[in-house]
Amino acid sequence: MSRKTRKLKKATPPEPLQEGDNREIVLSVRHLRQYFKSGFGRNKLVIPAVDDINFDIYKGEVFSLVGESGCGKTTTGRTIIKLYQPTGGEVFFLGKRIGGGPFELKEKIREARRETRHKVAELREKMNEDIKEAGDNANRVEAIKKDYQKQMDAAVEEKQKIVDELKEEIRARKKDTADENYKLMKKMQMIFQDPIASLNPRMTVKEIIAEGLRIGGEKKDKVIAQKVNEVLETVGLLPEHASRYPHEFSGGQRQRIGIARALVVSPNFIIADEPISALDVSIQAQVINLLNDLRDEFGITIMFIAHDLSVVEYFSDRIGVMYYGKLVELAPKDELFKNPLHPYTRSLLSAVPLPDPNYEKGRKRVRYNPSMHNYENDLPKLHEIKKNHFVYANNAELEEHKQRLKD
Amino acid sequence: MEKGKKLIVEDLTISFRQTQGLVRAVRGVSFELNEGETLAIVGESGSGKSVTSRAIMGILAGNGVIDKGRIIYEDQDLTKISEENFHKIRGNQIGMIFQDPLSSLNPIMRIGKQVTEGMIVNGKRLKNRYKSLIHRSLMEIYNAKYERRDLKETYRREKKDLKQALKAQLQGEKVPEQQQESRLKQGADAQALKKEAAQRLQALSEQFKKDMERNKKRIKDANVAIGPKKVEARKTVKQEWHAKKQETKKELAELRKKLSGADNETKKAVRKEISDTKEQLRRFKKVTKKEAVERALKVMDEVGIPEPRRRLRQYPFQFSGGMRQRIVIAIALTADPDILICDEPTTALDVTIQAQILELINNLKEERNLTVIFITHDLGVVANMADRIAVMYAGKIVEIGTADEVFYDARHPYTWALMSSVPDLTTHERLLSIPGTPPNMLFPPQGDAFADRSQYAMKIDYELEPPMFKISNTHYAATWLLHPKAPKVEMPEILKKRIKTMTEGTGEVTSG
Repeated sequence: MSRKTRKLKKATPPEPLQEGDNREIVLSVRHLRQYFKSGFGRNKLVIPAVDDINFDIYKGEVFSLVGESGCGKTTTGRTIIKLYQPTGGEVFFLGKRIGGGPFELKEKIREARRETRHKVAELREKMNEDIKEAGDNANRVEAIKKDYQKQMDAAVEEKQKIVDELKEEIRARKKDTADENYKLMKKMQMIFQDPIASLNPRMTVKEIIAEGLRIGGEKKDKVIAQKVNEVLETVGLLPEHASRYPHEFSGGQRQRIGIARALVVSPNFIIADEPISALDVSIQAQVINLLNDLRDEFGITIMFIAHDLSVVEYFSDRIGVMYYGKLVELAPKDELFKNPLHPYTRSLLSAVPLPDPNYEKGRKRVRYNPSMHNYENDLPKLHEIKKNHFVYANNAELEEHKQRLKD
Repeated sequence: MEKGKKLIVEDLTISFRQTQGLVRAVRGVSFELNEGETLAIVGESGSGKSVTSRAIMGILAGNGVIDKGRIIYEDQDLTKISEENFHKIRGNQIGMIFQDPLSSLNPIMRIGKQVTEGMIVNGKRLKNRYKSLIHRSLMEIYNAKYERRDLKETYRREKKDLKQALKAQLQGEKVPEQQQESRLKQGADAQALKKEAAQRLQALSEQFKKDMERNKKRIKDANVAIGPKKVEARKTVKQEWHAKKQETKKELAELRKKLSGADNETKKAVRKEISDTKEQLRRFKKVTKKEAVERALKVMDEVGIPEPRRRLRQYPFQFSGGMRQRIVIAIALTADPDILICDEPTTALDVTIQAQILELINNLKEERNLTVIFITHDLGVVANMADRIAVMYAGKIVEIGTADEVFYDARHPYTWALMSSVPDLTTHERLLSIPGTPPNMLFPPQGDAFADRSQYAMKIDYELEPPMFKISNTHYAATWLLHPKAPKVEMPEILKKRIKTMTEGTGEVTSG
């Protein structure tokens, strides 16, 4: 069978991370990696912006990613919606794989090759010893040689089989990533951070909102106009706003346009990338309330990316905390605020200023120093320490965390 | 100026000229700044908080005009003093930290140069000494000149008023009676009025001429008087310089004597001493680069920049956001100001770095006994920093009081709205958002500016501007709701609940 005609194996969605949870999973991310490269030769630098993260998002919930700027939360969102090619790992959306990268498979291939090389070298050494023992007996030497050759061939063949399988998987992931499945992908939409920069200043609001519909093949002007008007009303704007340009609106209204653009194709899942951090205080509440209404009304699942913890606490169901490309803690909201385990989470929580002078006077900031971890021998992993509460730690730290959990 | 008061702002009114008309950015702001306190100014963008602080620094944009009001610092009115005099205050006595650390640093200049620049430019010691010697005489000239300006202004205004009054009187008599018989009498009345007005005008202009004459003499006298003072001052400075030079020469000669016949170790030490002495002489004249760098290193260490010596040689892009903001703070601190104005210093930073910077500013405040004006729209930050809080809306202070008073006993509907529109870690109900947008300050609204967006607006709110009602000695708010005849209203439920939980002292909200 030639490579082109061979049918690639379809990926099956992975097992859920949380056992015993029967809710429908909208999005699952497994071992996702996004590395950025810069420079060449001596100056080459590989930045692991997202490094091996796993999570599931259930239907109808708000999942938040928090962390300081540069920790990779925005990159995660952008990789999920395929604005970037993932370096490694897989992304499953509504049970189908929509993207994947070859990183860990390539590692596996390399490892298999290395192992076989070692194995062959060992066998060769043994063979030489045996030959020496055998001495001048030509027949025996021949037999030994034949025997070892057989073993070596078997090892190489085995390796080749593994490598072929892995290569096939890489090809499958590549194909899934390149696949422009509009019907599936339009179920996932994104709201961007800056409402000024993310709207084309030369298009009217109607054109901006209708763009997604037109790409989807909708050609009837009547239908488009009706849908645009409907969605404008949903986000609290008026139908006559459709003929205006973005600069004629205030910040909060512009962010509503961005939300309307995402909503018009009736998505199941929205990635909201810091939708309120560029807005004024009094406007922020409007946008949060709107997102909350949309969730109640349409049952939309939202992945909310933010660094303002008080907003995250108010708005979300589960929270993932990221630090330099790693997901360090993942828990339901109440659990996370009650039992923050990872030192970074604790430091982040202690840095949130609250509008309460008495509390502020007593607030003590916990500092986080990444060099406090000793990960040399004992490698860290995401452990489920309590039901639905995951923390990134090694075994020694896990014990410590468990003790903290009790009190 | 009262003791303990660092800065007094009185009825400050600022507008910006634009092609569409005047934008009234600040409309009658008054506050006092006590020594050693932190005053936070809160409000959404466009409420005039940054403009107020820029007026205090004297760095309003070119189209900005101070229409009215005074800013009094050390018995001087900062709105009136000349640019040369402002140089002494700006930076040296009132420092400022700007919002965006990336755009307030020069991207193609090394950090070291940017930190030391101010010290070197302001550090011509002999020149400064000379200027301080003739300062009093110079001030006399300036004062005389200010007097001239004031005289001219008052004369022009009085003349205009008089003419307008006459016009009004004439018209007022013409309109009601147009009968024939009264015409003659009316004409006579008008004549009399005109005559009287002319006389008063004459008197006014004579008075003005007299005053101008006197002022001219004053200016002339001051100019004459400063001549010998200048000569004398120059002489004194020269003498001081020469004395220092001679002294140094002697020292150097002695040191050089030691050099001959000494072994290498002592030679080395002596040579170092020689260079130090020379440096001392140079430092007498001006702030040398070496001295500036030493001070820069000290300040950078103080604001928590590790390895300052290496950092001096780097460019701004090599710093992270928090480090950049530290550099900006270090630049402001090199001049040792007493008042520090922080214009949203943490808005561009994220939570952990924000916490570090706030801690830093609080520590510096205590160490150096700084008085701080902190401008922000984040109420959490305010709760952390402020001793007193002023809430601004549409160019006016709508509520001012101590931090506890504003947070636990707010009275203005805008303060309520602002506080209940941000969730805290215990909020679960729907947030109260403020409907609508802030008013267009090209056409400032009549009455209470917040009335359009307030659910508590009464009829009077659209007609008459509310005065500042006193709640306690330190707590004032501008809303008609505080008028004794106003209906009783309660603050929103969500806020009440929150204040209740806060005052009960729920310290367990994840203090880590």
